[in-house]
Amino acid sequence: MLKPSTLAMILAGSRVDELNVLTYYRPKSAVPFGGVGRVIDFSLSNLLNSGIEQVALLSQYHSYSLINHIGTGAAWDMIGRYRHVSILPPHLGSEVADWYRGPADAIYKNLDYVHYHCPEEILILSGDHIYKMDYQDLIDYHNEKDADLTIAFTRVPMDEATRFGVALMDDEDGARGGRVVKYWEKPQSPESDWASMTVLCFKPEVLYRALEQNQESDSYHFGRDIIPMLVAQQNCKVYGYKFCGYWGYTRTINEYWQSNMDLLGPKPLIDLEKWVFRTNLEHRHIRDNEPSLMGEDAVVHNSMIYNGCKIGGTVRNSVLFPGVHVKKGAIVENSVIFFSNIIGENCRLNKVVTDVNNSFARNVMIGPEYCTDRTPVTVVGWNNKVPEGVIIGEGATVYPQIPKERWPAILGAGEELR
Amino acid sequence: MKRAKEALVLILAGGVGSRLNILVQKRAKPAVPFGGIYRIIDFSLSNVMNSGLKKVGVLTQYKPLSLMNHLGMGDAWDFTGRSRGVTILPPRTGEKESDWYQGTADAVRRNIDFLEANPAGEVVILSGDHIYHMEFDGMIEYHRSKKADVTVGMMVVPKSEIHQFGAGIVDKNDRIIEWEEKPKEPRTNLASMGIYVFDYQYLLNTLIRDRAEIDFGMHILSRAIAEDNVFAYPFYGYWRDVGTIQAYWEANMDVLKKESGISPQKWQIRTNIESKKRLADRAPARFGAACQLKNCMISAGSNIQGSVINSVLAPGVVVEEGAIVKDSILFEDCVVKKGAVVDLAILDKRVHVGEKAIVGFGENYKVVNQLKPSHLYTGITLIGKGAAVPPEQKIGRNCVINTNIIEAAYPGRAIGDGESLFADGEVT
Repeated sequence: MLKPSTLAMILAGSRVDELNVLTYYRPKSAVPFGGVGRVIDFSLSNLLNSGIEQVALLSQYHSYSLINHIGTGAAWDMIGRYRHVSILPPHLGSEVADWYRGPADAIYKNLDYVHYHCPEEILILSGDHIYKMDYQDLIDYHNEKDADLTIAFTRVPMDEATRFGVALMDDEDGARGGRVVKYWEKPQSPESDWASMTVLCFKPEVLYRALEQNQESDSYHFGRDIIPMLVAQQNCKVYGYKFCGYWGYTRTINEYWQSNMDLLGPKPLIDLEKWVFRTNLEHRHIRDNEPSLMGEDAVVHNSMIYNGCKIGGTVRNSVLFPGVHVKKGAIVENSVIFFSNIIGENCRLNKVVTDVNNSFARNVMIGPEYCTDRTPVTVVGWNNKVPEGVIIGEGATVYPQIPKERWPAILGAGEELR
Repeated sequence: MKRAKEALVLILAGGVGSRLNILVQKRAKPAVPFGGIYRIIDFSLSNVMNSGLKKVGVLTQYKPLSLMNHLGMGDAWDFTGRSRGVTILPPRTGEKESDWYQGTADAVRRNIDFLEANPAGEVVILSGDHIYHMEFDGMIEYHRSKKADVTVGMMVVPKSEIHQFGAGIVDKNDRIIEWEEKPKEPRTNLASMGIYVFDYQYLLNTLIRDRAEIDFGMHILSRAIAEDNVFAYPFYGYWRDVGTIQAYWEANMDVLKKESGISPQKWQIRTNIESKKRLADRAPARFGAACQLKNCMISAGSNIQGSVINSVLAPGVVVEEGAIVKDSILFEDCVVKKGAVVDLAILDKRVHVGEKAIVGFGENYKVVNQLKPSHLYTGITLIGKGAAVPPEQKIGRNCVINTNIIEAAYPGRAIGDGESLFADGEVT
């Protein structure tokens, strides 16, 4: 096989503050998702399914969990002569010795790595989103148009457009895409509802030049700095590629919860099997879990449960990762339970996201008895042992590893326990 | 000091296991799926891995393809590395004689070059078709402390069952002084588990001695007991030979019972999860809004809309609305359509049960299978790999529907108790 021409670079280092305690010890891309995998698996599976197998991952915030997850890259077939995932952490150089100051700076600091691969296209992705996309289709469009930069856009509700980079495209190719006429990063009064998905395909020289120019500024973001700069250049051809599938951006805990709920139902918006989703089953020894055991009194409705769970109680509208035990009389509803949680007898969890390795002693109550669309999500950070009978109100936040003596009997709605 | 890790392991995985009927039509007994995601040989391999042993030879003979696929490079059981490895030892053409393995000892004898190429202190010889958890390092230590030539893993079984086993009578030091292979009259309740630790040199000498000694239990052991030092290593815990449909079904059901003592997860049993036919990983199992579960095991990739009771489901099984699966074992990617019933049955991979069909119909559990009365006699019905059951079809008790049977092959709406259906539409 000839050497592949595309190099993909995944921006996986960001910590999104809104995801709060879930990103306390891991970058957002390493946050568990889908009852078995991590958020970044979607980008990696998309790359695999698009036939792009030269991949670099830029990471600096708490990289350990991510590095562990990527392993050798074999889970996504990215191991072989021209197939690899390289993790590029910040490094010391003879001249530069710095942390990444932003995503664009991160790529700039690794330009020697990029040059080494002599790519014909450079695909820059965020590792933080949940979607299924054939990048090859975007690259084909990019090449057809002989574009300098092609950006994937998707439609979002107009009132949310302020949160994204949005573009005005001309009608050059109708539903497929068009030339980007204007671009605004997080505009206060948006004039378009086409939001950037942070999937960028660059002509290499254009990227090199743009990064070089960007070094003179004091902000190093693609959306805020690089894209507006290139759109403004008269001779630069920036195209928009229109994407119409599901896009889960999960910037807030409520959005994260909603994306998880999109896995459920008879016709789920996110269908892992159809999306040809892959994760690293070696990570956390997922593969060693026996099938889930459902007890005499187990009730499981409209839920997703991976191997390694033991269900003695009731689970409704929830997603359970491997190793979760729901004991007798416990009721788990509308919740996302990460790896290895133990939910004690007669506990009741409603609209909760609980991070890995938490245990809930008997009779713990979290969230309201009935929840509505507007009920805020309660989040419990990892490695907590919630004492017997504790009551936690809706929308509360529990930080990781709260010492035993700090637990109150009641944590009110919306309160934080640090 | 020698360490247990330096022992060499041989796993005998060549047996036909014909009493498992159509489950072994296309695969060797050790490769038969078990407990949802495992295969029978995973238990022996994982025990070897968990005992820290590093070098394994697997002797295959009968339909080894699925077994060899499953073993792969051995990395699932950590057998990769410069001083680690799993080697598949199939029968080879010899100089003169007919070259199939004639028995357990004969199989090892024909691989004496493998033994010579891997010098070790001891050779652990195991069977690849038992469900159990055992630490061989303990057994090897015991073997050394007794200065034994051979140590035999033995467990207490009810006297009524001893006729299926090699039985040993021991003195007060656990030295075996008498041996009976499958005795009709029980004189002891100590049964051989088919697990042996041999002194390396002793094994070589024994194998060279007499080519007529083709079986460990029948020939090698009885002579060793008479002439040399053979000790019994007592084993307490769960151990099953799942060589019959009944035993196989019961052991699967044991996985559902906490008190049975079998727990693949606690035992740290590993399997090879790679399957070349699948691109995506299995998603978590999906449970519908009206599904009912009771005492069952469900694997990833399944989709449960109906009822599952006392059953073990492998990955990718679909149970549609209103369908009922009870007291059954379903292998990968079986589909039970709307309103169908599967009761006391074993369904091999990719069986398709049509709408409102009934597999396991009626109450005539005692009408034995006419072709193989010794295989199916308690009511269990077997459906072969890839077979289809037409909508509204009734299949009775103790039936066998052969591999890949298509809907058109069925002669009528009902297959009677004890009958077997073949691809040409013949019912026996």
